[in-house]
Amino acid sequence: MEELINKLKKEVIEQLNLEDITVDDIDPDAPLFGEGLGLDSIDALELIVLLEKNYGIKIEDPKDGKKIFYTIRTMAEYISAHKKA
Amino acid sequence: MTAYINGTGLISPQKTADISGFLNDIVQHQADYFKCIEPDYKTYLEPLTARRLSRLVKMGITTAKICLADAGCSIPDAIITGTGLGSLEDVEGILERIHDDSVPISPTPFMLSTYNTISSQIAIQLKCHGYNSTYVHRSFSFESGLMDAMMLLEEKSAANVLVGGIDEMVPNHHALIRRLGHWKMNPVDNLQLLAYKTPGAVPGEGSGHFLLSSQNNEHSYATIRGVKTFYQPESFEESKDQILNFLASSGLNPEDIDIFLTGINADTEFDPIYFRMAQDVFPEKPLAWFKHLSGEFYTATLFALWTAANILKRQEVPPVIILKYKVQKEVRNILIYNQYRNVHHSLILVGKK
Repeated sequence: MEELINKLKKEVIEQLNLEDITVDDIDPDAPLFGEGLGLDSIDALELIVLLEKNYGIKIEDPKDGKKIFYTIRTMAEYISAHKKA
Repeated sequence: MTAYINGTGLISPQKTADISGFLNDIVQHQADYFKCIEPDYKTYLEPLTARRLSRLVKMGITTAKICLADAGCSIPDAIITGTGLGSLEDVEGILERIHDDSVPISPTPFMLSTYNTISSQIAIQLKCHGYNSTYVHRSFSFESGLMDAMMLLEEKSAANVLVGGIDEMVPNHHALIRRLGHWKMNPVDNLQLLAYKTPGAVPGEGSGHFLLSSQNNEHSYATIRGVKTFYQPESFEESKDQILNFLASSGLNPEDIDIFLTGINADTEFDPIYFRMAQDVFPEKPLAWFKHLSGEFYTATLFALWTAANILKRQEVPPVIILKYKVQKEVRNILIYNQYRNVHHSLILVGKK
């Protein structure tokens, strides 16, 4: 899981172009939206694209997004559970 | 009518973002096209804002902010932008995603790929809820924006209008247009540009903003006394008549023009129009050019307007722009004449404030 979390941090930094943020700056248990990284609704769309592009995971119900994208760890757990073999 | 230029901001292939200088440290480019010398955007944009913006949009917002600071104006009444090609980088990004079916389309380049992104992003940054418009008319784009701004001032719908022009060059677009023969085939040295006796221009890019106002103040650079465009003239004589009529409409004749600032771009096919016009209409008047500094792009006249405004304010003429006949006296009127491939012709008359 820790390996996936680190990989995911790098992908999020790249996808969202977080120029001044490093992997170490991201707390895997801190909320991604509102506080923490302070992401917004467009970033949420970018994260949906990231899951589809990098892991082949499509989020069918947008309501699930709130739970999935709560933190880097919740994202990693969702990917682990849904990643296509 | 007259509009005062009360502030300017320019990012170009020269060091123009720093408004304290005026073409006194010329940048040499040896390249297929001339890229902008960009400032550190962190000075002008919050990192969280900047991360989602492409280079062109960052350039646009930055020149808007430089211009407004120069003019001492926090929020203009209207924002107008002219662009020939918009944000090419974002358009290419979205087209590549569409072409590659296996990759989902990312929202950011999609949102930023529209032509009016620049004007709207400036408005969002400034929290300006006034008139907002974008003109996309190839080489008339910037001039159309100027005309709109002057009409807003004339009808008193606005007192301060932020008007700008912006275009970028990217490798794919450069390669495509070069295949059409519009660009030179090999890299060139901008400081030796007229030595290349070949057809085709050398592309460049730039972002420039001007605060046009109905009132003169201590920030004023110069006045725009008139703007005119004409399309695909049938003959040289028609172009000549257009210029003479344009000057007459401002109560001037060719003798009143102190500098004839032209869009000469080292294209052997179309430059003769400028040289003949200079000889026939403005004999022995200082002949100037600017595209060895800016390169050719649809809104390149923004560089000429910035140059003219600075000359008139400072009463300094950078030697690098003069091709023929030194300026011997006070500069009161500068005529900017640009034409792109003898199709889109434009005239901007700039006067001392």
